[in-house]
Amino acid sequence: MIMRPGQQLLLPANPLFIWGSLAAALSLSMLLNMGVWGRAAWTPDLLAVVLVFWTVHQPLRVSIGAAFVFGLLMDVHQGGLLGQHAMGYTVLSFFAITVHRRLLWFKVPSQAAQVFPLFFAAHLVELVLRLLAGGAFPGWSIFLAPFIESALWPVASVLLLLPQRRPPDPDANRPL
Amino acid sequence: MPLGTLDRDPPPFFRQGLSALSKLAVFSALAVFLMVADTRFQVMQPVRVALGTLLYPMQWLVMRPVLLAEFGGEYLASLRAVHTAQADAAKSRSLQSQRANQVEQLLLENERLRMLLALRPRLQSDSAAAQVIYDAADPYTRKVVIDKGLADKVALGSPVVDESGVLGQVTRVYPLVSEVTLITDRDHAIPVLNTRTGARGVAFGDTSTHADAMELRYMAANADVAVGDLLTTSGVDGVYPPGLPVAKIENVERRVDTVFARVYLQPVALVSGATHVMVLQPLAAQIPARPPLPTTAPAGKVRKGDAK
Repeated sequence: MIMRPGQQLLLPANPLFIWGSLAAALSLSMLLNMGVWGRAAWTPDLLAVVLVFWTVHQPLRVSIGAAFVFGLLMDVHQGGLLGQHAMGYTVLSFFAITVHRRLLWFKVPSQAAQVFPLFFAAHLVELVLRLLAGGAFPGWSIFLAPFIESALWPVASVLLLLPQRRPPDPDANRPL
Repeated sequence: MPLGTLDRDPPPFFRQGLSALSKLAVFSALAVFLMVADTRFQVMQPVRVALGTLLYPMQWLVMRPVLLAEFGGEYLASLRAVHTAQADAAKSRSLQSQRANQVEQLLLENERLRMLLALRPRLQSDSAAAQVIYDAADPYTRKVVIDKGLADKVALGSPVVDESGVLGQVTRVYPLVSEVTLITDRDHAIPVLNTRTGARGVAFGDTSTHADAMELRYMAANADVAVGDLLTTSGVDGVYPPGLPVAKIENVERRVDTVFARVYLQPVALVSGATHVMVLQPLAAQIPARPPLPTTAPAGKVRKGDAK
């Protein structure tokens, strides 16, 4: 694989960690909904961030099918239209697959700027679908969500790559 | 270099599966199918129940820290706040006790009068207590989730009330939880009766002005509605028992260019902050079935005994 000069050679990703992080993102967004924010339009979709991250970094493991299934779960949890998030995440994941070879050549802040249109498109798809299905407009604050999501991209890049940045030869002085 | 440092699986050159574009097409079509089946034909409830059951352990687990934080907050609340709440409760109880004592007598009187006039007795509905566990995250609707479901025999369409008035209606039932659509949801309609004039109407949720508001639609521009009128359930719908407070009229806008007045309502129930609610059984089960229509015979041949 051709890589950006100076980029660290990473360990292979652990599939358990990938699926675990997706499940953790789903339950974290549930926790924030149930305990902290309740029903708010501007809340960032953490699951979408993690999905895009893994689609870009591990496109062979996490792809459009996984995005669709997680979208369905999100729909059932939210109690909205069944298929709304599934559609949004499918579109999101498709665009992530399209840009995944180009995106990793950039530094993390420019990556965050480049994934913003993806998140914006996913939210727009969901908004249009719901308005077509007869939902009430939730307020302009819904357009804040893609900004927060792309601001979370660097955080996700640090946190989700931590296990792969471990040294290949741990010893007694360097257990991790 | 130790084993497992590098990904040693060769990338699949030939077995790549569908292309991304065809996957997008397939899954989008599937999503559109699901949405149409969900909104137009309402056949997706089994799928929802299956996925919801799959998701429930996760939700249950996630609820633990939330409940712990709430319980901790209550536990650490100051003694003064508890005293104030207790004093308020005692005051409201003494205010209500006077009316409650009169109610016994009024009920008896009402029953006798109804017997005298040979009217059907007032319908009673069974109720069960429930707790609101969280607001549904969907920002396009107004829904909450309560902790009673099919296992507690919650019926679809059951009215949900809190201590001061109607809160909403059960619109989806899962095995262990149910979704309640609040009366402030835009698509929720409730038949009401103006207690001052006795006029019936239909109140809808309204999110256009402010968060928890309702609107009394289809009132003529010269209709007798005044600010402060109390609207209660009218009982003509076969769902809500009559006489439950729903909303108060907050503002009436009469314009020359429209036939209808815009009537803004303020819900009586604590719609956005209710925690303990009652789920009532819908009245439809107690209402006798509609008599069969005389289909074939011309009007003269129908005997009076046929229509029960």
